[in-house]
Amino acid sequence: MTSPGSAAATDRTALLSVRDLEVRFVTRRATIHAVNGISFDLDPGATLGIVGESGCGKSVSSLAMLGILPQPAGRVTAGQVLLDGRDLVGLSEHDLRQVRGGEIAMIFQDPMTSLNPVLTIGRQITEALRAHLDMDKRAAAEEAVALLDRVGIPDSRRRLSDYPHQFSGGMRQRVMIAMAISCRPKVLIADEPTTALDVTIQAQILDLLRTLVDSEGMALILITHDLGVVAGVCERTHVMYAGRFVETGPTTELFARPKHPYTLGLLKSVPRLDERHHRRLEPIGGAPRDMRELPTGCAFAPRCTYATQASWEVLPLLEPTAGGDHRVACHNPVPDAELVAAGLGLGPDADGDAEDDDQWRP
Amino acid sequence: MSVAEAEARELEIEHVGGGLWRDAWERLRHNKGAIAGAVLLGLFVILAVFAPLIAPYGPNERVAGLAATPPGPTAEHWFGVDEQGRDLLSRVVYGSRLSLLVGVVSVAVGLSFGMLLGATAGYLGGKVDTLIMRIIDIVLSIPGLLFAIALVTLLGRGLVQVMLAVGITTIPVFARLLRGSILAVRESDYVLAARSVGTPGRGLLLRHILPNSVAPVIVAATLAMATAIIDVAGLSFLGLGPAEAGLPEWGAILADNQDRLQASPHLVFFPGFAIVLSVLAINLIGDGLRESIDPKLRA
Repeated sequence: MTSPGSAAATDRTALLSVRDLEVRFVTRRATIHAVNGISFDLDPGATLGIVGESGCGKSVSSLAMLGILPQPAGRVTAGQVLLDGRDLVGLSEHDLRQVRGGEIAMIFQDPMTSLNPVLTIGRQITEALRAHLDMDKRAAAEEAVALLDRVGIPDSRRRLSDYPHQFSGGMRQRVMIAMAISCRPKVLIADEPTTALDVTIQAQILDLLRTLVDSEGMALILITHDLGVVAGVCERTHVMYAGRFVETGPTTELFARPKHPYTLGLLKSVPRLDERHHRRLEPIGGAPRDMRELPTGCAFAPRCTYATQASWEVLPLLEPTAGGDHRVACHNPVPDAELVAAGLGLGPDADGDAEDDDQWRP
Repeated sequence: MSVAEAEARELEIEHVGGGLWRDAWERLRHNKGAIAGAVLLGLFVILAVFAPLIAPYGPNERVAGLAATPPGPTAEHWFGVDEQGRDLLSRVVYGSRLSLLVGVVSVAVGLSFGMLLGATAGYLGGKVDTLIMRIIDIVLSIPGLLFAIALVTLLGRGLVQVMLAVGITTIPVFARLLRGSILAVRESDYVLAARSVGTPGRGLLLRHILPNSVAPVIVAATLAMATAIIDVAGLSFLGLGPAEAGLPEWGAILADNQDRLQASPHLVFFPGFAIVLSVLAINLIGDGLRESIDPKLRA
């Protein structure tokens, strides 16, 4: 199982271990503190969800792991990204190229714009194969057919010579997934893989990801703002706010007993299918933080109903809660009584039965 | 609708249309202006290629006596004859060779250097970009024809020099266009996606960035051919054209006969009309191309 939290969390080597990663965007006018020290471990076959609203640093973290931050502004200013014990930060472009696609691959948000419109999808899939596995043209084409079959694209052999605009959104996302898994990476990062798709297609793509993770033993990092997606796919969930993890833990535990007011706010702003009475959705007041300066205290304090003087002055660190592996960075965690009032907590899923996660699924 | 049904329907919808360029071709084929332009340009190409077969006489063959005010069109000489007794139709037909050559060669010169500079500036960015673009800004601030005149003065007169000069004046236009296009494409999702699977820099530029950036440059290149023909004709008219005596360059024919406009208007009308028609043909094609390969019009 993965272990969240401080840099001193573990001594053993995980497959992917991110240590106090810090990303800044430095421009002449301002410095954006996009990611402010996140740490997590990922074991082979593990599934981790990173949740947060737009601009909290989710995508930037993943771009940083692959060393493809927008240039020239983006840079990793501190921390390590250890893949099998090797630090990817500061690795040469040449070595990083081997890692990208070969060991860590990524699926992007918008399949409509993430495929090159002037190349056939066959060309695009074989590109990675030929770059990493040193295959000749024919072998790569055969492998591409097999890949398309695996991601559920019918008539795959013929479709190799088709162009992206001849595929629908869902099919394009399947192609993107085929590209990403082509070289059997150890880690697959899916950055909002279903956001641009409609709901039935979303379910298909998530099913596909789940199947692939199970059959290939890949570790999956699923980045999303959709709690339902995380609930359906991920064993663990990390909630991110203003470039930091504010709450981490097993998905069931975290959804049943959210401790951070922000997590609770996220859960309360999502409609649930299993409710007898229609509850008003409660938005989180205020706006996301201006990331141009780092707050002294808790970044969420300005929007938090539980905030105290300490919240404004002292930065809360991830501390274990009663729930063991469940950690929260908050001076005033949400009391259990609140959870009951919100219709969460001591519900049927308190026993941690994974099936109950379904209530959150889209 | 079940998931399986939805998938099946999705598949049906997908199977239409061919490749990207085939798409553009389809759209071009239905553009009446472009077709008219292509037919017209095709005629000029035929004239140029088969000039010796089509022209009744050689371009410098004397078929009539010298005359101060040469006669206009007759049944024997459709376009009339010039003051040296040469058949004007033959000269105009042979002239199409020069004009097309001039258009193609100068654009090729401008395009190759312009694309090289634009791609370098756009892809590398930073100081290289600033340096290249400032130089280009300076060059662009000089009026094109004036710049071409200066270059001809520098390089000397002659067909090759004139084509080079006109070509060089188009470099900044292509460079700037390609750079802008590359800047936009460089930040696109599919380039990021290509980087994320480990595509090396050269592959990124050649397979992902350039092919998606050249569409506006192709359009500009077509239109630039028309401008090049006019520019060379203009240079010839100003007496800076190809120095080779007797070369049946349309602009040169115009210049030679400008003082006979009243007495023998045919000497100015026919070559002038040829210039207008060829430029019109190319412009029609260029506009059609713009409409058919503009990425913004793409489905």
